Amino acid sequence: MTESPILSARGLAKSFGGVQALHGIDFEVGVGEIRCLAGENGSGKSTFVKIISGVNTADHGTITIAGEEMTSMNPREASAAGIQVIYQDLSLFGHLSVAENIAINRMMHDGSRFVNRTTMREIAQQQLTRVGVDLPLDAPVSSLSVANKQIVAICRALSMDARILFMDEPTTALTGREVQRLLSIIIDLKDRGLSTVFISHKLDEVFEVADSITIFRDGAKVGDFAASDLDELSLSRHMTGRDVTYNRYVREQTDDAPILEVAGLSRKGNYENVDFSIRPGDIVGLTGLLGSGRTELALSLFGLNKPDSGTIAMRGKQVDVSAPWVAMKHGIALLPEDRLSQGLFPAQSVAVNASATMLDRIVNKIGMLSRPLEKALADTIVRELQVNNRDTSTPVIHLSGGNQQKVAIGKWIKRNPSIFILDSPTVGIDIGSKSEIYEQIHRLAESGMGVLFISDEPEEIVANCNRVVVMHAGAVDARFTEDDVAAAGFKEQLIHAISAPRHGGDVVIADATAIDAESQSKGLNNDA
Amino acid sequence: MMRNVTTRVLNRKMTPMEKFLLAIMAIYIVIVASQSPKFFSLETAFDLARNGSGAMILALGCLIVLISGGLDVSFTAIAIVGGYSSVLLSRALGVDNLLFIVAGAVIIGALLGSINAVIIHFFQLSTLIATLGTASVFHGAMVILLGSKTFTRADVPQSMLDFGAFSIFTIKEENSQYGLTIFFPIVIAVGVLTWFLLYRTMIGRSVFAVGSDPESASRIGINILRTRLFVYMYVGALSGLMGIIYFSGLAYINPAALVGTELGVIAAVVIGGAKLTGGEGTILGTVLGVVLWQLFQNTLVHLGLSSSFNDLFFGAVLVFMLGFIYLRQRQANKRALVFTSN
Repeated sequence: MTESPILSARGLAKSFGGVQALHGIDFEVGVGEIRCLAGENGSGKSTFVKIISGVNTADHGTITIAGEEMTSMNPREASAAGIQVIYQDLSLFGHLSVAENIAINRMMHDGSRFVNRTTMREIAQQQLTRVGVDLPLDAPVSSLSVANKQIVAICRALSMDARILFMDEPTTALTGREVQRLLSIIIDLKDRGLSTVFISHKLDEVFEVADSITIFRDGAKVGDFAASDLDELSLSRHMTGRDVTYNRYVREQTDDAPILEVAGLSRKGNYENVDFSIRPGDIVGLTGLLGSGRTELALSLFGLNKPDSGTIAMRGKQVDVSAPWVAMKHGIALLPEDRLSQGLFPAQSVAVNASATMLDRIVNKIGMLSRPLEKALADTIVRELQVNNRDTSTPVIHLSGGNQQKVAIGKWIKRNPSIFILDSPTVGIDIGSKSEIYEQIHRLAESGMGVLFISDEPEEIVANCNRVVVMHAGAVDARFTEDDVAAAGFKEQLIHAISAPRHGGDVVIADATAIDAESQSKGLNNDA
Repeated sequence: MMRNVTTRVLNRKMTPMEKFLLAIMAIYIVIVASQSPKFFSLETAFDLARNGSGAMILALGCLIVLISGGLDVSFTAIAIVGGYSSVLLSRALGVDNLLFIVAGAVIIGALLGSINAVIIHFFQLSTLIATLGTASVFHGAMVILLGSKTFTRADVPQSMLDFGAFSIFTIKEENSQYGLTIFFPIVIAVGVLTWFLLYRTMIGRSVFAVGSDPESASRIGINILRTRLFVYMYVGALSGLMGIIYFSGLAYINPAALVGTELGVIAAVVIGGAKLTGGEGTILGTVLGVVLWQLFQNTLVHLGLSSSFNDLFFGAVLVFMLGFIYLRQRQANKRALVFTSN
């Protein structure tokens, strides 16, 4: 880099109540550079971004933007200097229109008192044109897909004349094609001089477009790397400070009578004619792009999404899984995709969450819930699953993602289900906890449980599954037997099967469009 | 055809709630008109305008609070405190001037509203709890400091009596005459002002933004305190205005009146489509909700039914209509595999 950097931070340090969150960080971004900021949860990434964006103030160190040293900085000044942060939750207003969401920031900063609809639409259209996306200006943002919401957030940042765009985990909720569109927009903006910093802890598409990668660990910078110099292994090593290799799972059970058999299962618009079976000790990988119907299928197996036709059999007996409690009666458990909104009671304690599936086992003689029994049960779960926080009275929301997930898994395993469906069990979880969760899953399978492991990540499937089903557009597109999985080059085959399905064509799945129409007809955001 | 008209006038489609309300209203009017020929007349409409004016003003204020994500139950207390204090002040100073009395009530109302906003903001209290408390404090303080003497017609300031009796035009018939109250254009003006503030000013858009997601709102630099001050001072000011309209219309000043009726107003706004979760609500919906409420309240006599039926009908409409609409939304969510509570 010969040009002087657009952003340069020197020796940034910050402590919160005696805990050093950042130790003398140096960080530079050049004009038109795409940089990745990688690190585990708690490595200091978010503190760093908060300081750069003026939300927090550093104890030591300097920040220079376009050659000008910023002495004090609040969010407004950071924004005026060209720093824009797009948080993972996007910070949009669901009830306001696309145009309003894009333009509100600009108009606020211009000090407008009145809403000039023409100006507002002009600002919005100008930014949309700039990123080359066409969105309905008057539609409420809540009716858009996540990918389009992200576009709105980007446009809002651009409308503020952003020079450096920070994006926190921008691709987690996107499908493969949407990720490609997002990245092509970013590359296009890069050519016009915009610098982007991606914050991520996953080696994925984002890394492919990055010019360089900065890794944080425990509040300090490990180093700056060229994207091409890193592979998964070295990235994990830098992020965790140790070699993380996942043990591959090999099934050793000899009982081949299937626990669960699914035959010809169909639900219109979701999935079609799905067959597979799970034997004791199987960890069956279920994968495919978002929208392939895998989550819909999982919900059907747990009684939350009634199939139209086909059969589900448990130990050779056909069952009608009409509701979650029926599924539980048959020994089926589900770890849902979104642990905070579907898998846990976030504001409740670890004890309450861990015992939630087993209330019948923590009652005393006269049928009242017993706190000591609840605590004892929770204590065993916390110990077994190696939850770091041993205090079971802590609200779950205060735990890290990895520990939350351990509690979510733990609440099922004491019921000893015969089939455990895990939907994306390691999303947003750091590498250390990941390997602990994998080991736990392996132990469950070794004890004879059948596991259905749904995941986006080929690495994860390879490490954990002894058989794999790949779905595309609602149908089973490819299968891998135990021999296939054990063969060399399986991972490449799997990646190929996921990204290049044999049955081409568009995914026809009930997506946001159903609600689109609904909320648009509400039309709450225009006038009166 | 109707869709074209509404789309043009409103610049948007009607919400399902608004359509339902219009349909229920139309059915009700047809039924009552067929039972009682006297019902379908200008006189009924004028009566309705007179009796419903106060409720409509309170409802418009309540709408803004709901959109901002709050729930205010102190507005009836503020209406009484603002109106009563202003009347006492005018009597004490001997200034029998309507503008003075209205200005007094509006200013006192806005001040009390600002107290609500400050308490909510700095103590981070739930708006319902804060206003539940301040409603009692405001009203109690007024009774202790100013007393609770009622004023009959002879003691009501003349300017208020004139105001309450003033019609912008009257229609004479053989043995009766009736007119459209001056309250009506005032209500229209308040409606237009509220619309303008909500949809055409940045502070109004901030109210929607704060109601949608306060965290995101503060991230883009919206001043939450300023927005809350605007919301609660505006509803306070409207309440003060309503207090004077209420006393003038009755020509009787009773400081124990009105308090306790706030839930009816909130119900009318909610039936119009405003959500307690914030960020959503429309002026047309609110207007329709209040009109339906007032229709039941004032015209059930034409069917020979007592006013108890008003509560019954209105409550039934509220429960069934909201239940139906939320059910439909939940089904749509379920189809899209969204399993959330609302």
